Amino acid sequence: MSQTNISYKQPLLETPFHEKTREKCYAHDWYRWAGYKAVNQYTSTELEYTSMRNTAGVIDISPMHKYSIKGKDAKKFINKLNTRDITNIQPHQVVYALWCNEDGFVVDDGTIFCFDENNFRICSGERNLNWFEDTAIGFDVKIEDISHSIAALALQGPLSCKILHMLNANNIENLKPFYFDQFTINNQKITISRTGFSGDLGYELWCDPSQAHDVWDALFSFNKDYKILPAGLNALEMVRIEAGFIVVNADLMAAEHALRPNRMRTPFELGLAWMVNLDKEYFNGKEALINQKNRGIEKKLVGLDVQGDKPAVGSVLYNKSKKEIGIVTAAMWSPSLKSNIAIGYVDKENMKLGTIILAEIYHPEELEYRKIWAKCKVVKKQFINLERKNAVPAFI
Amino acid sequence: MSKYDAIIIGGGHNGLVCASYLSKKGCKILILEKNENLGGLANCASSLNGFSSKVLGDLKINLPKLNYNSYVVALHSDQQHTILQENNNKIIFIKSGANEENQKKFSSLIDKYNLYASTLSKFMYEVPPRLKSGSSKDTWQLINMGWKIRKLGKKNMREFLRVIGLNIADELEDNLSDNTLKGLLAHEAILGSNLGPRSPGSILSLLYRQAIQNGLFTSEKYDFHQLIPSLEKICLNQGVEIKNNASVKKIVTTNNQATGVILDSEEKIDAGIIISNADPKTTYFDLLGTEPLDTDFIRRAKNIRTKGNIAKLTITLKENPIIQNIDKEKMNAKFIYAPDINYIERAFNASKYNKYNENLCFEFHHCVKVIVANIYYVPHVKNNTHDKERLIQHSINLLKPFISNLEIEKAELLTPNEIEEKYHVKGGHWHHGDIEIDQMLMMRPFYGSAQYTTPIKNLYLCSAGTHPGGGITGINGRNAAKKIMGDKK
Repeated sequence: MSQTNISYKQPLLETPFHEKTREKCYAHDWYRWAGYKAVNQYTSTELEYTSMRNTAGVIDISPMHKYSIKGKDAKKFINKLNTRDITNIQPHQVVYALWCNEDGFVVDDGTIFCFDENNFRICSGERNLNWFEDTAIGFDVKIEDISHSIAALALQGPLSCKILHMLNANNIENLKPFYFDQFTINNQKITISRTGFSGDLGYELWCDPSQAHDVWDALFSFNKDYKILPAGLNALEMVRIEAGFIVVNADLMAAEHALRPNRMRTPFELGLAWMVNLDKEYFNGKEALINQKNRGIEKKLVGLDVQGDKPAVGSVLYNKSKKEIGIVTAAMWSPSLKSNIAIGYVDKENMKLGTIILAEIYHPEELEYRKIWAKCKVVKKQFINLERKNAVPAFI
Repeated sequence: MSKYDAIIIGGGHNGLVCASYLSKKGCKILILEKNENLGGLANCASSLNGFSSKVLGDLKINLPKLNYNSYVVALHSDQQHTILQENNNKIIFIKSGANEENQKKFSSLIDKYNLYASTLSKFMYEVPPRLKSGSSKDTWQLINMGWKIRKLGKKNMREFLRVIGLNIADELEDNLSDNTLKGLLAHEAILGSNLGPRSPGSILSLLYRQAIQNGLFTSEKYDFHQLIPSLEKICLNQGVEIKNNASVKKIVTTNNQATGVILDSEEKIDAGIIISNADPKTTYFDLLGTEPLDTDFIRRAKNIRTKGNIAKLTITLKENPIIQNIDKEKMNAKFIYAPDINYIERAFNASKYNKYNENLCFEFHHCVKVIVANIYYVPHVKNNTHDKERLIQHSINLLKPFISNLEIEKAELLTPNEIEEKYHVKGGHWHHGDIEIDQMLMMRPFYGSAQYTTPIKNLYLCSAGTHPGGGITGINGRNAAKKIMGDKK
């Protein structure tokens, strides 16, 4: 069901789950994601968020870009591409990875699925075919954009394992985080990985577009007792901020997109130093990253615990003497933490945990803005760290 | 400890020059040449007008001077050929159908270009500055380059900056009305580059040629058959080892540092420094391999324009050729057939689409029954699908109207594809890459690989693909050697 015939009459594609999502999308709140119609919110963002933190939420992530990497040099190629060392990756393992350009600036992030030594899949938020193909010059690999031929759902939340277990996904509770396997649910053989974007217990289901409706229906078959909801992008944005995950082209400009060179970011500046393996023989941007490591970073993406209850969306950050030091890239009131949180860049004098800085919040109040100087404490980006996320066996 | 301080891959003229300079400073050098003979593409060149006298002086090479007046003949189909001579950078019209005003304007145009070219030629012997390095030395050098252009004077600087982006056709049509003269100058502007007279930047290409050869039609000064043997002799005298028929398979690197080479025979030779005289694309894609190179770098390397479009035709005649209206003493001239701008542009147009128009342009020299011609535009085509017999026949048909006694004993033709194969130059391009504004000075061969260095430590480039560019000048080899000596300190 690969639909690639876009025309002016139908400017956006529909995902394999479209019939199902359309039925549930009472708010008719859609947005454009990689050429597809995707749901912003179905009924109410808060309700969808609550389902993801308390029961489970289902998100249609089919528009995500997926690339098949096959061939003798597949592993070598991925090792050159990304900043982590995947030499010891095992079949059925998933790795979260970043890839940089020659200046060490992040091009994109994504997950790498290892099927075997010579067969990988990379899922990413931005289009990367051109980048991958140019990186693959001289390597014996075949890269294919398989975005349209795989349907994908994210099932995130504390009951996600239980639902899959009740659907007779054999031994699903023992699937470790960042692993995947084949399972049969509702007579459909599909791939399930224990991955997600919510910082919670959760899975991602990958299937053929022809299986899409059966898989969707199966997930909701226990809704009499366990109320799980389809969730849109807005709710996903909330859970990802709580989890401290970054979104390319929201928290940083993708190196291939940015027009202004000082808008690009390196993994160190994103606080993702643990993902950079400088001992690896060679990868894109190694030289530049070594230089930056020695030189030290000028700014860093940090978590902020913001005073008050008004979200610091788009706020400019200041130090105590009100000198501008950075900007907020994502902010929200966190219902789970009952606190006002944000992610933003601060300069090198203020990146230490515990530093107190100021955010200038313009809060709209009945056609007028109220300006608030909110104190913020620099904290870790990962605001929420749930034990159930990594528990094996998972909660059923 | 390895036996050699440096290995030079490729025994072309730049490789030999580089080896001469380095060995003079006491370096132990090994030259690996893939072919049986040294010289590379220099063997393919029909003249060595541009070989740097500074390099000759530095290396104390005394090439026998050829003492004769050389002419330039622009052929015309009605046999009323235009004959010119260049003497001390002044154009003398021996015979021309153009009126006096046109002749004057033609001369003043060339004078103007000579002036700009002399500014450009000041940059030739410098290692161009690095961009974005932040070092004050590079910034200073850049300012200095700007100052040299400023020194042309306000009016001339403006005019210089105006014309460097222009196409030659516009400029000629503004100034001249004589088609033959227009064709002649357009021919000089585009020869060797993948440009047409209407391609932007074709004036710059002409200026660069003048800068390199120190004049436009400079008469042949040296007996160029002596050049490569002289360079070889110097190298051998200075203890350079030369291995012919030694084809390098791979440059060995460890930890981003070049440490040696592996030959086709699997023999491994170590050296502290590897200098590649192969063109940049061959160096990076074939010899080094893309594995230790950044994607952005590979993109830039992939995108340098190296499409050759000149075929070399060598014909042996049964007797000395006779050209109507040309005296015997002028038969050592350079003959050019590029009758007018539109004719050239049409030939170029076909080559853009990898076809060729039967009405090609050419230039040739004659020397005792042998005619050596450069025929363009013959495109470099994928998989070498040229119909050679037809191509030879077409080429001969082009010459036929001018040579009345064209009885051919033997005709040989090298297409750009064959030049690529024979001399291991990507695209069969004379200059290892078009000489255009985005591929010269600190952008040659491309950003990130200029200044003769590479991202791999101790791996250097010295080929025509580097600054100052193509032609048989030897400056690339000299500059590279200087850079290497500087880095060693």
